[in-house]
Amino acid sequence: MSVQTVPNVADLAEMVEQVWTSYLDPEGVEPLIPVEKGANSSEVHSSVSITGSWQGVVVYGSSQEAAKQAAAAFLAMEPDEVSAEDLADVLGELANIVGGNVKAMLPAGCFLSLPQVVLAPESASRYPSAVQVAGLYGTWKGEPISVTMWQSRTDVKEGGVA
Amino acid sequence: MKILIADDSRVMRQIVTRTLRQAGFDGHDLVEAADGREAYDKTVAESPDLVISDWNMPEMTGVEVLRKLRAAGNDVTFGFVTSECTAEMQAQAEAAGAKFFIVKPFTAERFDEVFSGILG
Repeated sequence: MSVQTVPNVADLAEMVEQVWTSYLDPEGVEPLIPVEKGANSSEVHSSVSITGSWQGVVVYGSSQEAAKQAAAAFLAMEPDEVSAEDLADVLGELANIVGGNVKAMLPAGCFLSLPQVVLAPESASRYPSAVQVAGLYGTWKGEPISVTMWQSRTDVKEGGVA
Repeated sequence: MKILIADDSRVMRQIVTRTLRQAGFDGHDLVEAADGREAYDKTVAESPDLVISDWNMPEMTGVEVLRKLRAAGNDVTFGFVTSECTAEMQAQAEAAGAKFFIVKPFTAERFDEVFSGILG
């Protein structure tokens, strides 16, 4: 069985830092502060699926407030001006950016889905036959943020467990 | 110049617009498209001088738009702004006739580097 190169937590951290530097914290004053994995405190989340030579899901989760703050930063407006549509758009784009960068580190022959946005906690979504392989947790402006990777179990074949 | 910005995310279209401005490319006529089909149709109808396109969009992907334009004899300057950056995609983009490939997240410096030769 070949060993695949799959992004780890340090890789996720680097990708997320680029997102913060480019869009959420260009002045470098409010970085994402890493924390130990705690209780899952997401209130909203977005995901992209990756299929092909690697199969799994990349999930971005945060509190409602963090999503609103992120949308405000992306759109250069006040948090109170952010519409539900803006918030969903930004959540989807965050999963898309991280997912696209994850895909770039995977073996050739992967495909990225369009993002799915769910305005409910991560626990509302289930990823069948997938196990979490990496998770980055932090706080931004005191609000929880998480980026997780879920890999489809290769030992689960059609028709049952191999 | 007339510039078409194609991305299914309205927020990302706004960020591309803002980043063009931050990079010093003001005063251009901007047109937007929200999916691949609209990107193709508006490129044909509006004849932009430059198309800045996402890759992964509903209806048609960005590279499908580019291939269809070239097949129809349209030689517009076309490039990608995408979160996906693999060697195979860059090769596909180049083979289809793309002039640039910008990876999200991007900065105004990156826009300046790419567009100074195109927008002057």
